[in-house]
This record gives sequence, C-alpha cells and structure tokens, in this order.
Amino acid sequence: MNRHPYLRAYLAGIAVPTVFLLVTMTAYTLIRYVYNLPIPIERVIVFPMAAVPNAWGLWNLLYVALAEKHHFSLGIFGAVLPLLLVPVGYMVLRILDFAVPAEIFHAMPIAAPIAVILYYLIWKYVVGFLNAELGVYPSVVRG
Amino acid sequence: MTEREMDELKKLLKGAVPPVGGTELRRDLWPEMRRRLEERTVRVRVPWWDWALLAGASLLLLLFPRVIPALLYHL
Repeated sequence: MNRHPYLRAYLAGIAVPTVFLLVTMTAYTLIRYVYNLPIPIERVIVFPMAAVPNAWGLWNLLYVALAEKHHFSLGIFGAVLPLLLVPVGYMVLRILDFAVPAEIFHAMPIAAPIAVILYYLIWKYVVGFLNAELGVYPSVVRG
Repeated sequence: MTEREMDELKKLLKGAVPPVGGTELRRDLWPEMRRRLEERTVRVRVPWWDWALLAGASLLLLLFPRVIPALLYHL
C-alpha cells in the first residue's frame, strides 16, 4: 500500500465532511422547505458542498506531505483549518450578497472556539483513524 | 524425441540457465508481519483533556444553540 499516498490522503480527508454533508443537507432542507425559513440558503450551499470537503482533502494531503519531514499533531494541524475556512466562508457570503441573520453573526465569537475544538477532535481521532486504515501515515493515529 | 535427445536437451538447458543462488531469506519476516498486525489493532487512548474539550464544546452548544447553523456551514 505504498502507491499514491497523496491520493489516499486526499480521499481520507474528504471522507468525513462528505458523510457529514448528508446531515448538513438534511438539516438545511428541513429548515428551508419544511419550516419555510425565508432565507435563500441554496445560494450559499455551494460552500459546504464543494469547498469544505475539498479543503479537508487538500489539508490532509498537505499534512502528509509535511509530516514526511516534520512530525506534529494531526489534531492541531486540523484545528488550524477553521481559521482559514471561516474567513473564506464569510467572503463567499459577502460575494453572493447573502444577508447573515444578526443572531448568527453575533454568535461567531462563540462558534469560532467551538469549531476549533471540534476540528481538533475530529482530525485527531476520525481523520487519524482513516489515515491509518488507508495506510497513509500509520504513525499519526498514535500522535 | 528419444530419451537420449531429452537428456541432451536437459543438459543444454541446465548449462544455459545458471543456477539460482541466494534463495534463502536474508532475515526473518515474521516479526515485521507481527508488528504490522499489532499496529493495526492499537487501541486509541483518549486523554482526559480531550474529554474535557468535548464536554466544553458540548456545553457551549447546549448554552448557545444558535451557533449550530454557523458550524454546519463550515463543517
């Protein structure tokens, strides 16, 4: 299993948000069409659907590439990702002229640390497990 | 083809193909195999601070459920 380690790293990275997307899409569909929330979520759904899974795959690929020379925690590396995704996500909202509800916008100071914690835990345990299972970088699961 | 010709052919073939040497393994592969098998069954230990982080994040989500849509957008 020494062939195409970067491809396997990419696939291990996109697996988690791709599966989780099912939950996100179900929640969005229920909110929008069952509870008739008057917010055009479909205009910005492209970000969690396309950008986030690819960002995870590329981030894991970058980790594997860097970890060949420097060993550091996968959890901490993953915890840095929301610090990039949040501004990009906000930029997408601005470009698409999507009005963020004020209460969600004001919740961002609380949402940001929660996102960092969740990313840390998911990357450390779930992505680490997938990396080990796919033989990407077996030592990360112990790190 | 007669028996004599078959013997001659065997001799010719044996002469043309040099005997293969060094077929013995240079080292025992079983310890390596065993190490890899054990590596795959390593139980992941979750340190107390990770449990604390999970509890803290869960508590914040319970206290501020309005952050959930923002989190879903970025996950």
